[in-house]
Amino acid sequence: MIHCEVEICVGCRMCEVICSSVHFGAVSPALSRIRVAKLEDTGIDLAIACMSCTEKPCLECPTDALSVGAEGEIQLEVELCNGCETCVEACPVGAVGFHEDEPLFCDLCDGATSCVEVCPSGALSYRSDDKISLEEFLEFEGYPNERRVHYAAVQAVPMRERWKAGARVDT
Amino acid sequence: MSIYRGNALRVDLTHNEIGRGSTPENGIGARTWNSVTLLNEVEPGIDPLGPDNVLCLAVGPLTGSELIASCRFIASAKSPLTGYLGDSGARGFFAPELRWAGHDQLVFAGASDRWVYLLIDNEQVELRDASHLVGLDITQTTVQLQRELRDPDLQVATIGPAGENLVRYSIISCNLARACGRTGMGAVMGSKKLKAIVVRGTRPVRPANPDRFKAACNQLQANIEAHRQFESRRKYGTTRIMDALSEMGVLPAYHYRSAIYEDLDKVNSDALRRDHVVKSKSCYNCNVYCSRYNYTQYSEGEGPEYEAQAAFTVKCGNSDLELGVAVSNTVNRLGIDCISTGEVIAWLMECRHEGVISDDDIDGIDLSWGSREALLQLPEMIARKEGIGALLAKGTKRAAEEFGTEARKLTAEVKGLELFSADPRGIKGYGLMNAVNSRGGDHYRGEPMIELTGDEDLALRRVGNRDAAHRLKEEGKGALVNYAEHMGLLSDSMTICKNISCCMDVVDFDLAAEAYSGLLGRDITAHELWQVCSHVSQVERDFNLREGLRREEDTLPQRFIDTPIPDGPAQGTVVDIQRMVGDYYKEKGWE
Repeated sequence: MIHCEVEICVGCRMCEVICSSVHFGAVSPALSRIRVAKLEDTGIDLAIACMSCTEKPCLECPTDALSVGAEGEIQLEVELCNGCETCVEACPVGAVGFHEDEPLFCDLCDGATSCVEVCPSGALSYRSDDKISLEEFLEFEGYPNERRVHYAAVQAVPMRERWKAGARVDT
Repeated sequence: MSIYRGNALRVDLTHNEIGRGSTPENGIGARTWNSVTLLNEVEPGIDPLGPDNVLCLAVGPLTGSELIASCRFIASAKSPLTGYLGDSGARGFFAPELRWAGHDQLVFAGASDRWVYLLIDNEQVELRDASHLVGLDITQTTVQLQRELRDPDLQVATIGPAGENLVRYSIISCNLARACGRTGMGAVMGSKKLKAIVVRGTRPVRPANPDRFKAACNQLQANIEAHRQFESRRKYGTTRIMDALSEMGVLPAYHYRSAIYEDLDKVNSDALRRDHVVKSKSCYNCNVYCSRYNYTQYSEGEGPEYEAQAAFTVKCGNSDLELGVAVSNTVNRLGIDCISTGEVIAWLMECRHEGVISDDDIDGIDLSWGSREALLQLPEMIARKEGIGALLAKGTKRAAEEFGTEARKLTAEVKGLELFSADPRGIKGYGLMNAVNSRGGDHYRGEPMIELTGDEDLALRRVGNRDAAHRLKEEGKGALVNYAEHMGLLSDSMTICKNISCCMDVVDFDLAAEAYSGLLGRDITAHELWQVCSHVSQVERDFNLREGLRREEDTLPQRFIDTPIPDGPAQGTVVDIQRMVGDYYKEKGWE
């Protein structure tokens, strides 16, 4: 999975740019499999891609078009997909994109992880053995972008507490 | 010749009508289109705050692409502050979203009779009621719109209470703290009763020649990463310049009364980073990510950049940096330009120091140097036009007319636009830039940065003479400013961040031509781009001449011509501005 460190992410969206460019030869966040949640009034930035979570609610696919690959990535069998967006709505952190009737899952660039390569702050990293549970986010009601923002806000609570206690960028 | 024509969305606010068309010919993006549109469509002599003014917001063909920091939009209209051509750019993420929505230029004509906002969802565009947003500040408006439209990724460009109240230096802001700061574009938006522009865009930017475009992008990225200022810009952003300006002897301490600020180490970039910066922040697709997020006991927010930091500390004689940062956050929320606001306050403090005015003239507010009361209260009063704020909201030039001759002598403005936080006497190329450029007292048309680095070889390469690299020499500055203006116009059309393209000198016309050629899929030469910039530079001059601009206005405030810098490394320097203006006119082929 692609991990983003909330304390380091600066919110430049270079990951979105390279992801859409690598996969589609064009730039648009709507084509990106990684999305940056930005909470501008609290200074929070966090890039979110499929975390290969232990729950994997996206697999409740009505046409069985989804399966799990060797690295934990979600694989789509295009011929079986009917574009119903059940997986998009099921993802607790809004990490499934959707473009031209097909869901977009982080495919780890077949190991090349372009977003990790390009990330200028070093906030992104590839982690092969993480076991992330997103159970506490399953019940959150909202659109995918609202879920991303909610997830980012929760991840940033300790960071904001440290700011309040006086921690600064170099401490 | 038309290098690229984009889609223009025309919004008639008087009749609530939305039409579609093309951007003008002879343009290469953003500012080039806006300036031509205004020359064609704004009648001379109109009231900038009346319905006859036209407000343009534009991006360019490279915006929202893979090109580093292709992140700006330019807002242009006749300026309510100068009465001449006004325009200003904002970074952040609004511009790419507008490009992805498929709109290259928005042209607002007329004025609505009730408050509205424009909602753009790709090709769907509608004006909506904004009565519930009236009075909300920039943060509140942005958050409210994202909440009620249930999309936290929406991009919002909005005005604050200052823009609603037609403060003549109010801003249009996106991403809470990224502003079209200069020349009062927020007041023009407010005069049209347009509270905000909200955009959702999903259409990709696809280069026609991906390999050529990618090569240009890679070249730019490599140029940036190899630059000797790369790490310090990433760490400090523009605040890094405060120590440098102090070493050059051009700090405007106590409103240009001294070039030495005794408490520099309490307010400089290191102090800011040590005490108030909690993290770095970035604009769209930028590997420099030079912005910073601050956290203070008063408030939090993005910034300050050097201009706000210096204006609310050094220039006002305030050594309480935390207060200065908080004022920066406040003006961003209220929606007033930090440069003009800081200049208004610092000028008042000098007037009081000189005995030209008393505290009683300013509603009893303590105007001693560094006054906490003045710094906390005046921005609020200006934005809401309360008490003396109503007069100060007109800018220093108009306010000084009320306070008389002696107050007028102390102003630091050109054509009504307030000067930045550096002393033009000791950086003469910047002095000339402030005197002659199309929007008044402004360093940022293009940055004659070569004279700050002193790089003679670069000066020779860019403008054909070595003298231009010497900041205290008046020779060669006409050519330097002409080149810097072309670079500024190019950058305002590529919509790339000028702190990168101009200040770091990592983009030239050749590299720009490669980026345009790669994106558009046909050969565009550096010469063609230069010609477009020359043409539009003349368009901007023609607009101002039509509004009655006279040669005598191409000058600096008399205090910089008559009175030498009193102390510090550039002590004794004045600026022979008319000599440089003549040199510049020759460069332009003007009489």
